[in-house]
Amino acid sequence: MDDDILTTLKILIIGESGVGKSSLLLRFTEDNFDPEQTLTIGVDFKTKRLSIDGNTVKLAIWDTAGQERFRTLTPSYYRDAQGAILVYDVSNYSTFTKLETWLNELETYSTKSNIVKMVVGNKIDMDNREVSREEGVHFARRHQTLFIEASAKTKDGVQGAFEELVQKIIQTPDLWESYAIGNNFQVGNKDHPAQQSCSGYCSLI
Amino acid sequence: MDDVLTETVPTDDLKRFEKVYHEQLYKNDVTPKAQFEYAWCLVRSKYPADIKKGIVLLQELYKSHDEGQRDYLYYLAIGNARIKEYSKALSYVRAFLSIEPGNQQVISLESTIKKKMDKEGLVGMAMAGGVVLAVGALVGLGMAVASKKS
Ligand SMILES: Nc1nc2c(ncn2[C@@H]2O[C@H](COP(=O)(O)OP(=O)(O)O)[C@@H](O)[C@H]2O)c(=O)[nH]1
Ligand SMILES: [Mg+2]
Repeated sequence: MDDDILTTLKILIIGESGVGKSSLLLRFTEDNFDPEQTLTIGVDFKTKRLSIDGNTVKLAIWDTAGQERFRTLTPSYYRDAQGAILVYDVSNYSTFTKLETWLNELETYSTKSNIVKMVVGNKIDMDNREVSREEGVHFARRHQTLFIEASAKTKDGVQGAFEELVQKIIQTPDLWESYAIGNNFQVGNKDHPAQQSCSGYCSLI
Repeated sequence: MDDVLTETVPTDDLKRFEKVYHEQLYKNDVTPKAQFEYAWCLVRSKYPADIKKGIVLLQELYKSHDEGQRDYLYYLAIGNARIKEYSKALSYVRAFLSIEPGNQQVISLESTIKKKMDKEGLVGMAMAGGVVLAVGALVGLGMAVASKKS
């Protein structure tokens, strides 16, 4: 059943409590929205298959609480993640300011130095915007991350956020190819063979 | 692939939070925070003895500290499921859902637990038991019908 899967990727969702992390995940995995989304306890987990450019990957997504009382232990879930989604709420400026802290934490605790980062400005359906799109773009550029604005409520940008992140990870075989060795996974496909950094891997085929 | 029932805590983290807890224990002044953090590490250990210790600490917290009740119930369910105490795990899940019926995170934990039981043949066994009962009932019914005819 899992034969056609290129690889499994570990993705983290981090950011302040209340910015809509769990809502983005629920929208992405189940195309659903809960206006009364409850507070995440510690760390939650969901899986989802995603097909990109003819490759199917399985995503193991770890959704963190963001609340102060879980903060000390959350980083122990960062290990081996290949991608991270950093979320802020465009209608709450302080959640945007705090992104700096979240990025630092990620830098400190993630074990993969080239982990792909995506900054998501959520809740663009709200009238009371406090963070402009330009500010978001600027932040992302300065920290060399991907960037998208989204709304878990209206679906805007949600699928795109995950797809772009995964696409970038797939284009960085260093991040995941070691997992494929020994499992007979196919790297790339006929049209887009993963040839960039074949050191070690290709000689094994 | 790891999920909430199979991922494990890095040893360094377990040691770090164990140290904080024991320092407070030595001074006879354990905060709920330190106890919870240590228990959270313990229930994610790969050793059942650690998990059991974590469960005891969480039960203590559940009885004594009102504020984090839902956190304690959630990790009690996870801890018990990890040592294959499935009926206990599911009873914590049910206790949680009786307070917060729509909680996605706990509903998905419930299905993860049930899938794991399924994999281990436990649900299958329960179902097989049900089938045997049903067959028994049919046989009984058949006999009743047969006896009426004669
Ligand atoms: N209007 C609006 N509300 C949202 C959006 N995303 C999340 N929310 C709401 O914001 C609150 C916090 O969301 P939640 O997903 O729990 O945030 P988390 O703590 O980051 O996981 C909930 O009441 C959600 O219904 C969105 O895109 N638009
Ligand atoms: Mg959440």
